[in-house]
Amino acid sequence: MEQVKLPLVDESGYYEIRLESIGGLGANLCGKMLGELGLRYLGLNSASFSSYGSEKTGTPVKAYIRYCDAAKEIRVHAPVVSPHILAIFHGALLGKGEVLRGCTEQTKIILNTDLSPEEAAEKYGISCGELLCLSAQAIAMESKSRINVVMLGAVGKAMGFVQLEQLESICRDTLGRKYPDALPGNLEGIRRGYEELGEAFRTNADNTDRNTMKKKESSDMQKLGYETAPPGGIIPWAGNSVLADVSPSRQGYIPVFRPEKCINCAMCDSTCPDMVFQFQKGTYKGKEMMVNKGLDYYHCKGCLRCVAICPTQALVPALEKDYPDKPYFMPNQDLIRMPDGYEKTGANGYVTSESFLTEKRINGGEM
Amino acid sequence: MANQVMEYASGNEAAALAVRQIGYEVMGYYPITPSTQIAEGLDTMKAAGQTDLVMIPAEGEHSAAGICYGASVGGGRVFNATSANGLLYALEQLPVQAGTRYPMVMNVVCRTVSGPLSIKGDHSDLMFALNCGWVILYAHSVQQVYDFNIIALRLAEQVRLPVIVAYDGFFTSHQKKRCYRFEEDAVVREFIGEKKEPYPFFDFEHPITVGAYMNEPDLINNRYQLHQAMEQAALELPKLYEEYGSLSDRTYQAWDSYCSEDAEYLLVLLGSSYDTALEAVDRLREQGVKAGAVTLHVIRPFPEKELYEVCRHAKRILVADRQDSYGGGGGNFSLEVRAALQKYHAGAEVYNIVYGLGGADFSVEDAERMFELIQKAGQPDLGYYGIEAGKGGETLPLFEPLTRERTVLEGRKTLNATAQMPSRLAPGHGACPGCGIPVNLKLLLRGIEDPVVLLFQTGCGMIVTTPYPRTSFKVPYVHNLFQNGAATLSGLAELFYYKQKKGEFPEGDIVFIMVSGDGGMDIGMGSALGTAIRGHRLLLFEYDNGGYMNTGYQLSYSTPRGARSSTSHVGKDQYGKTFFHKDMPQLMAAAGVPYVATVAESNPADFIKRAVKAAGYAKEYGTAYVKAISACPLNWNDKPDKERSVIEAAVNCNYFPLYEVENGKTNLVYNPEEANKKIPVSEWLGMMGRTKHLLKDEYEELRKEIQAEVDRRFARLLAKSEHEFL
Repeated sequence: MEQVKLPLVDESGYYEIRLESIGGLGANLCGKMLGELGLRYLGLNSASFSSYGSEKTGTPVKAYIRYCDAAKEIRVHAPVVSPHILAIFHGALLGKGEVLRGCTEQTKIILNTDLSPEEAAEKYGISCGELLCLSAQAIAMESKSRINVVMLGAVGKAMGFVQLEQLESICRDTLGRKYPDALPGNLEGIRRGYEELGEAFRTNADNTDRNTMKKKESSDMQKLGYETAPPGGIIPWAGNSVLADVSPSRQGYIPVFRPEKCINCAMCDSTCPDMVFQFQKGTYKGKEMMVNKGLDYYHCKGCLRCVAICPTQALVPALEKDYPDKPYFMPNQDLIRMPDGYEKTGANGYVTSESFLTEKRINGGEM
Repeated sequence: MANQVMEYASGNEAAALAVRQIGYEVMGYYPITPSTQIAEGLDTMKAAGQTDLVMIPAEGEHSAAGICYGASVGGGRVFNATSANGLLYALEQLPVQAGTRYPMVMNVVCRTVSGPLSIKGDHSDLMFALNCGWVILYAHSVQQVYDFNIIALRLAEQVRLPVIVAYDGFFTSHQKKRCYRFEEDAVVREFIGEKKEPYPFFDFEHPITVGAYMNEPDLINNRYQLHQAMEQAALELPKLYEEYGSLSDRTYQAWDSYCSEDAEYLLVLLGSSYDTALEAVDRLREQGVKAGAVTLHVIRPFPEKELYEVCRHAKRILVADRQDSYGGGGGNFSLEVRAALQKYHAGAEVYNIVYGLGGADFSVEDAERMFELIQKAGQPDLGYYGIEAGKGGETLPLFEPLTRERTVLEGRKTLNATAQMPSRLAPGHGACPGCGIPVNLKLLLRGIEDPVVLLFQTGCGMIVTTPYPRTSFKVPYVHNLFQNGAATLSGLAELFYYKQKKGEFPEGDIVFIMVSGDGGMDIGMGSALGTAIRGHRLLLFEYDNGGYMNTGYQLSYSTPRGARSSTSHVGKDQYGKTFFHKDMPQLMAAAGVPYVATVAESNPADFIKRAVKAAGYAKEYGTAYVKAISACPLNWNDKPDKERSVIEAAVNCNYFPLYEVENGKTNLVYNPEEANKKIPVSEWLGMMGRTKHLLKDEYEELRKEIQAEVDRRFARLLAKSEHEFL
């Protein structure tokens, strides 16, 4: 097999890719396919891995791929810090500054978004490298594939030394024999990702200030270390997980509250895993009881359990983008002071074993 | 040379591949990150008919080691894989295996020993195994994981010692790399050869006794034999490396070195960091610094002479430990390197440093920094690398404390009224969208007055609520590993009762609650039953989602029979989990506790009532046990918003009957038949991706068996509810 020529490499001779995703979108599998592509179809040596932790849906996941000359051993095991290609699977991730960490002028950033690159660069404060956009979500839905294969096609295109046929081949190798039914949709997704990736847009440094502003730590913030952390790993700050804004876990939907229909049965409160419903003492139909005052959207993960259980349709499902200002948004009422800020996050979770999930995800969630 | 095939594999995949090709006979195991993928990979192959390996999922690592010991006494070829506290839990069995001289191979995928609980990689687990009489090989690449596994079994059988093949958790176990395997399994099997059993166990003509009891003067001779076997291993290994090299074109030694011949500054390290250090050596050599690096492939028998030879010309040597022998002046690795060099009177100055604990990444820049450190002369013990002092800051409380006065309810304990109970759990935890665990915890706690103390055993519920430095708990909370939570809570509660009695704590009840998943109720079954039998005043709460969900859904004893999991795949040779779900409430009832109840979120009012009752028993009389069926949308493979109806179906098909056993008397809380809601089990099975395949025609028999077992258990409950002595 003839070895492709890598357009650029770092000082140790590696061409590096980083995928930024959320658990459930299949970045792990995408990374694995990109890694195997290098070895089997590009004549390169390659390695790939994902960020590790326990398994959770909707939490940040990173995947890393390294290519180098076939004669060279891959001797580095640390995550990719300064990628040549950075693929962002979900716009919500950009709320966290570190997603863009290590980008340089040479980085090609591929973003799944409906926005144009100009708009996206402005909105998210992307200030270095070239930005390439595509509506991976829409393509995935139309082609009955998943975001990960669409992004695979887009990454392949952006690299500039990969043929569409090679991407199709690696997809056939990985999915074809085991999941023949899912193959046509996935091939379609790859092709459209490859073909519909937008033109490269050179971002400019004007956005830098906003970017660094987001990352700025307040100077009086506590930093835990061996002199400041209580010994033994004790946490003396009761309930401080409330400072996490887990909204990135939502996948497009939120419950919307219609108080005029609410009978205050508290079934929503009984089914919500995230303490979203803010019940307080009040009166309903002249009777003193606990009354639903609103929803804490900082902590709603959009599971819609409450919608399914509500007997009076006082809670209805809605697309989050239709509600930029969420009605009846009420932060957690047990707090005795409003926090300085919430940190957008999910759990500290990712991939330790993929055997069950890979199969499930390839088949679109049904086995 | 034999034909080879290129693979793109992780260390764990390479290990599973080697195990399949070798043709092992029995694997006793208990899944633990990051070694679990080996068992998962083998189970996948098994389902597809690629191996006939007997895989036995133990209820804990201690039992897994026992299974392996039994099978190896029987003359089988036996394999195991573990990590971290799993290795420590099995540790007691390791000297038994070695001391009675039964060969086997175990892969130790190195991970930080808890606590605090950490799942990432360092070498703190492996170093506990140094004194067990096992040969220890260390693979620092995916290729070596494959190669060393093959060499390991041959060596094990040759010198009749068990062998550990160790490698870095995550860095080696999870990163996919290029590696080569033999095309034909026969090549591997020929290399290893036939197993010869000097004293076959199943020879009824010549029965033998294994494991007699032995004191002085015999034991020291037995140990000397072990010592000799280890020396023999040191002699055999070079021959095996050479023979393996002629087959594979990959020839190993007990060590590996790079630019060591003329190096003035040598970095000695174990595992994947060695490869990273080579990049740094290259960079330094370009700058004219005579740098080099050394690693070991064998830790037992420790290749001290060889190490001395390779290091003898260096001026300064830095040994980097991914582990510490606290108070011992460095990690075990550096202590042994120091001892070996001193033994042969090497002239170099030797330094040591501890780095990379808890899976901290080791970059080329880190390796360069270490070379900088040895170029400066200084104290021989360089302490810790990569630590931070931190910075103080003010942290004000976020919530009102949940004192006795604040945990009182007015009025009846309805769903609405209990909404006034301040949540003991803060939001912002990291459970998956739609997860049943927080739902069940809230239902459990919303009716319970008085202060509560919570102990969580390891599991999803623990991981998602306490990712350091965050906690979702507003009440006193402690975690312990899941083989020991109930015992820990026994101690905690008894101390409180003692001090309260002496007047050191104020009057008033406290509810002590252990929260565990069904996984914790497998490995922690002994501890929980022991606690129940002793009858401490506390509440054991189990959320049962039917699998080890936190680590990627391996089967638990509560997984429904036939369900797909990552250690019970479905394929032509396997239909999913092979045995029925464990009946933990009946085990607890048999332990004679005053109160047992099963609850489900689909009957929330009843759930709250049972929880309050259980708390009452826990305060006054003894151990209470409550079990909830708990949804896992991720691994049940259904939709988060459908979970309550899935759970309702589990109740209505009698898979999860709602009942209580109060002072030995069974009381059926809900009978689906009487409510006109009874459905067949298949209806529930069809609602989840993990069991949907069971609706296919080919599983009709199995479906009938599951239905029959569910019916049998329910009929027995009915009978019990109708008779006070049953």
